[in-house]
Amino acid sequence: MSLMKIFVVEDSIPYAKVLLHHLRLNPDNEVEHFSDAKSFLNQIHQIPDCVLLDYSLPDLSGIEVLKRIRAQAPDLPVLIVSGQEDVGTAVNLLKEGAYDYIVKDVNAKERIWNALNNIRENARLRKEIDVLREEVNQKYDFSNIIGSSEGIKKVYKYIEKATRTNITVSIYGETGTGKELVAKAIHYNSKYRNKPLVSINIAAIPTELLESELFGHEKGAFTGAVSRRVGKFEEAQGGTLFLDEIGEMDLNLQAKLLRVIQEKELNRLGSNKSIKVNARILVATNRDLKEEVRLGNFREDLYYRLLGLPIHLPPLRERGGDIMLLAKHFLQDFIKENGFPDMKISPEAQQRMLSYPWPGNVRELKAIVELAAVLSDDGIIEEKDLNFNTVTDEMDTLVSEGLSLKEYNRRLIQYYLRRNNNNVVEVAKRLDIGKSTLYRMIKNDEINLN
Amino acid sequence: MSDKVYNLAQLEEQGGGDAEFVSMMVDTFLEHTPGQLEEMKSAHSSGDSATLGAIAHKIKPNVDMFGIDAITQDIRDLEQMGKNGIINAETQEKMQKVEAELTIAFEQLKQH
Repeated sequence: MSLMKIFVVEDSIPYAKVLLHHLRLNPDNEVEHFSDAKSFLNQIHQIPDCVLLDYSLPDLSGIEVLKRIRAQAPDLPVLIVSGQEDVGTAVNLLKEGAYDYIVKDVNAKERIWNALNNIRENARLRKEIDVLREEVNQKYDFSNIIGSSEGIKKVYKYIEKATRTNITVSIYGETGTGKELVAKAIHYNSKYRNKPLVSINIAAIPTELLESELFGHEKGAFTGAVSRRVGKFEEAQGGTLFLDEIGEMDLNLQAKLLRVIQEKELNRLGSNKSIKVNARILVATNRDLKEEVRLGNFREDLYYRLLGLPIHLPPLRERGGDIMLLAKHFLQDFIKENGFPDMKISPEAQQRMLSYPWPGNVRELKAIVELAAVLSDDGIIEEKDLNFNTVTDEMDTLVSEGLSLKEYNRRLIQYYLRRNNNNVVEVAKRLDIGKSTLYRMIKNDEINLN
Repeated sequence: MSDKVYNLAQLEEQGGGDAEFVSMMVDTFLEHTPGQLEEMKSAHSSGDSATLGAIAHKIKPNVDMFGIDAITQDIRDLEQMGKNGIINAETQEKMQKVEAELTIAFEQLKQH
């Protein structure tokens, strides 16, 4: 806030003059004085940034004036300035929403000054939050999801439908297809946009910790629970809870999740007290959940509860011309961020990109385009700049380094974790090792989830 | 003059060395407080304790601000007694003391 408009309502002219003198020492304060409640209330529609209100006015009591202010401007900070120190009155006024209660004594000047600084700082932060919120809303405007293929057009249509209601949305798609981006687009274009979007990747959290992550715990609920912790469901109160990789959830926890979703209330671990929860739920998975139900890995009742509006994200290889739209978009972004001169993609490189199967989907495309921009020598991305064989190359490097078996294993696991978006369960399956082995290695810092 | 009934130290501190501010405050005090004193006297003589208390409440911060120490407690007592509906010999005595001190303060401040 640059200018701060302050209304001073004070019938003692000498005291008002002292206040006005102090307030006007700051050139950013625009101060207006009223000597009675009525003339002030006639001008309240101007909505100042703050009011200094004398408690004992000739025409209305301070509490009555405060109530009338609240009716017209609920968020307007009101500092009550009173000639008497009366704790009961102060408490009542603070309960009615007064910002502070300041006694007209030798410390009044400093307290008013501090309170105004706090109000100014809060207003600045609120403004900053509004700007950031607007930026985020724009960033996740779903028109920013690039593509014109039939598959992606259907996704747009479904996202739009999802934003209009509170229906649960299940997002399906291979790794790297943009499931999280879709979840963000839904949240930031829905009526929940001004409330939190809380995301949790089920696969990245050890099963034994997941329950507490989701539902929270009380102090002493289990060894290591040194303080109370609010879970993701509560964090997302009034907003959106995005459960990524829902297909990796343990069957026991699935039952607990179902109960919370059905009853819209939970108990933190170690507590008997029920807490109401009202977050909108979005889930995503790269698995075929129906098949997982058939295999007995996923509860059927939970499957139907979460199904809601299913959105299937097509793999990049099925999106035809979107590949080049996306590639050019990522290239432009990269050029802009790094101050590179304009770059083009040669017809041969384009042909190669269109025929590649993109197992890592959009995420892989972005990485390959950015690397190609760096490798390119002459402002044109050629076929030679496209480094598709990152897997093979990395494996070749590992072998040629003459590593010990232990180090080789560690690097291999780290590689697959990175490639699978830190999905521990997926990596354990793919490498045919126990999840507990991976968790132990994470705990011992042998591998990490960066 | 060591017999001054007022002390401008607090006001000067508030003004941060701004003599013009102190002078403006003295003028304001002299402009408003004599009238308030008259209203308070009239409320007392007519037995209007509520008005007595309300005006004492208004004069109180000015008495503090101008360092008229001899009556800082009396003005508070009058405020409280007025609010409690009390008008008696004690309030009469306090009124007289307040009036006397303020009258001297007005005269002395005019010379400021």
